[in-house]
Amino acid sequence: MTLSQKCLLLFILISPWVAAEESLGDLDLDLDSLMAMDVQVTSAMKRTQSAFETASSIYVLTKEQITRSGATSVPEALKMVPGLAVRQLDNNQWAISSRGVASRFSAKLLVMIDGQSLYTPKFAAVYWETLNVPLYDIERIEIIRGQGGLLWGSNANNGVINIITKNSIDTRGLYADVSSGSQLNIDTNLRYGGDIGNNGSFRVYGHVKDGQKSSKGIEMEPADFSEQQSAGTRFDFTPNDQWSGLIQGDITQSTLGQNYRGVVDDSNRNISFTDSLDRTDSRIMARLDNRISPSANQMLQTSWLKQSGSQTYLQEDFQSFDIDYQMNFLYQDLQFDWGLNYRYNSISFADSTFVQSDGGFESLHQYGGLAQAQYKIVADKLDLIVGVKVDHNDLTGWENQPLARLVWKPLNNQVLWASVSKSVRVPSLLEFNDNFLIDGQRVEEVSPITTGIPEIDRYYIRTYLNGNDSVKSEKSVSYEMGYRLSDTTWALDLSVYHTDTDDVAVIQVNPNIEQFLPIFAMLQAGQIDSAIQALTTTSINFDLVSNAELTTEGADIVLSWQPLDSFNAELGYSYNTFDYDLEDNTFPAIGFDSTSRQIFAKADIHFFEQHNIFAALRVENSNAYQTDSYTALDLTWNWAFQPNWTAAIMGKNLFAGSHIEYGNHGETYTRSNYIDESVTFKITAKF
Amino acid sequence: MSQSAIAIEKEYALKAGFLFNFSRYGEWQNLPDNATSFTLCSPDASFINVSRSVLSGRKVNNLPIKNVEIAVTTTDLAQCNILFITADTVEPWLEFNRPLLPNVMVVGETDHFIEQGGHIRFFLSGGKVRFEVSPDQLKLSGITMSSKVLRLGRVVNN
Repeated sequence: MTLSQKCLLLFILISPWVAAEESLGDLDLDLDSLMAMDVQVTSAMKRTQSAFETASSIYVLTKEQITRSGATSVPEALKMVPGLAVRQLDNNQWAISSRGVASRFSAKLLVMIDGQSLYTPKFAAVYWETLNVPLYDIERIEIIRGQGGLLWGSNANNGVINIITKNSIDTRGLYADVSSGSQLNIDTNLRYGGDIGNNGSFRVYGHVKDGQKSSKGIEMEPADFSEQQSAGTRFDFTPNDQWSGLIQGDITQSTLGQNYRGVVDDSNRNISFTDSLDRTDSRIMARLDNRISPSANQMLQTSWLKQSGSQTYLQEDFQSFDIDYQMNFLYQDLQFDWGLNYRYNSISFADSTFVQSDGGFESLHQYGGLAQAQYKIVADKLDLIVGVKVDHNDLTGWENQPLARLVWKPLNNQVLWASVSKSVRVPSLLEFNDNFLIDGQRVEEVSPITTGIPEIDRYYIRTYLNGNDSVKSEKSVSYEMGYRLSDTTWALDLSVYHTDTDDVAVIQVNPNIEQFLPIFAMLQAGQIDSAIQALTTTSINFDLVSNAELTTEGADIVLSWQPLDSFNAELGYSYNTFDYDLEDNTFPAIGFDSTSRQIFAKADIHFFEQHNIFAALRVENSNAYQTDSYTALDLTWNWAFQPNWTAAIMGKNLFAGSHIEYGNHGETYTRSNYIDESVTFKITAKF
Repeated sequence: MSQSAIAIEKEYALKAGFLFNFSRYGEWQNLPDNATSFTLCSPDASFINVSRSVLSGRKVNNLPIKNVEIAVTTTDLAQCNILFITADTVEPWLEFNRPLLPNVMVVGETDHFIEQGGHIRFFLSGGKVRFEVSPDQLKLSGITMSSKVLRLGRVVNN
């Protein structure tokens, strides 16, 4: 059976297990479910109420899936999400995106921990390798595929990942785990939580990891070890039913070995080299929630993030300060949400051999507001949602992101939704401000004539990729539709989308032919040495220009089946195409025309009371990463051999053998390795 | 039903769900053998309406749940297995002399409810329902609570 036939079969069959919005008479009265439900009908918008009725392509990774899967980091857990491109570059680097091509340094994806943004305006990406969130204290991870701009702000064009951690009242007691395996020397976690009087609770946690390097590199010996220590804490206060507050903080120190490419000498060529980087990532967040009435609430959140990185060729220090206010209320058939936000970024990035900054932006301010109204056109049947986010940034000024959505419930267990939205991606500071030295171009590649003298024709001219302040924001218009069906034992979630993006930044080659004329004149005069000498002072510019159009379209489909409490399974298929419309003499900056397909199958089986097997199979077929297709199985067996003790054995990347997940080596800086099969053992204690 | 009504009822619905679980995981030492129903009482008519709808068809120890609106009087309270005193009906409870009620699990949602003779008190944290529980006071009424529930709540010791 060909892949397309397999996909068709999956379409005929069927997505994450979405919790259906329950009428009051049909509440799930399981104690764990009740504890997970929000009291407010108007819960803060940065929390999903009912995935079932959400008018966007949402997938919820539950705490059960995260812990049972044996994932040891957030990126690993995200591998389980249909429709997310999660490509491992080596044993510590990742490229993650949705509805587009994932790149290490640009994802157009907004990642948050409890609503605190980790977005770095310098790279427009997330340092996944230093993101520390204890997996055992995650409540759930919500993934929105596609436009998330209205609620979350700019740069959420391709999706939003919100990692929601548990309230500390639910993590009281001692937790400890230790893992070791074929790729991991040791990974150990410790947490202790308790009450603070009658109105509060806390937890403190720490983590130490010592990861091995990969066993096989591409052209180079792998160096991708990890040494990481982190500590964090969270306090929750509940003085009364109207007010609650939380404060949390986390600090992670990492030393990571990596292979790089960069132009670091006079050869003007990309040289591969090995280095290690030291990073310290810290974050603090505080939130105050106020329940004004059963149908109105407000929230004030403030946070600070500091990320410092140090390696031979790069020194950076990034800090951001955020303050958000939101209010949600219900008046008869109208739900109204509004909010204000302000973000201050401080960016210090020392010039290096291969990155220079034009300067001018050491700090960035962003501020704005949002308003969203949801109106019940027909009670319990048809809702209309309209909203707009308007904000101002220092690079491109005022931006607006409107949306309109319709949610139709023909029957209680079915939802059909459609949306039209505009989203904006503000250029990263690298695109706006910086110049990179990239792999040199040969004279014969750019000059209109060749000389026949190898020293000249094959000379690599210094080549720059220039960001500049004429780069515009990218504007996308997305058309999305979805259908969900939830039956007693199975559920279907289907979404399709088409997105047109204008003003896409691409690279224009500017060989500046005139600069070769004096060199040709010297050659004609027989001054070969002078000509070679003159070449050393020439350069070619690759300029970022905002003149391309990009079309992305595709579909995600997930079928969930739970015939028994002790068994559930999920099948998913995702399809995505990425298609540039380029002007002459330009080529894409991120990704290239490509088609990606994924098949997911998961099973979670409980047996003999103490045993659980979790299996996740993914088939990745894409020409976006210059790799072969691969099929990988992650299989975890958990055995609760004592009431407080669990042992687990986790096999990862089984069947895939030693495979490459990311092969786009044309990108400056990034160097990947083979990803190996691995086996890990883990012991967990909970008291 | 308007959305505002749903907004108010959602909290009661969740709390009714919790009461159902307290009933399932509690052990009443002296329930009569000939009981034909498990009785959930509250002086709050609007809560009983919600609870009736949420718990319709549910059973505790194979006994159907009976939702009863009561007055806070010794006679009315005698028929209850579980009693929920809402914020709107706490006044009559406080005015009542509150003798020890054998075999009645007393649940409230107002500040200091446990000090005022209750066994379990709901509170909200981060927009979700949580509870504190006094196993000692439950024991005085002849009721023990499963550790499955106790570990989810905040245990208050006297």
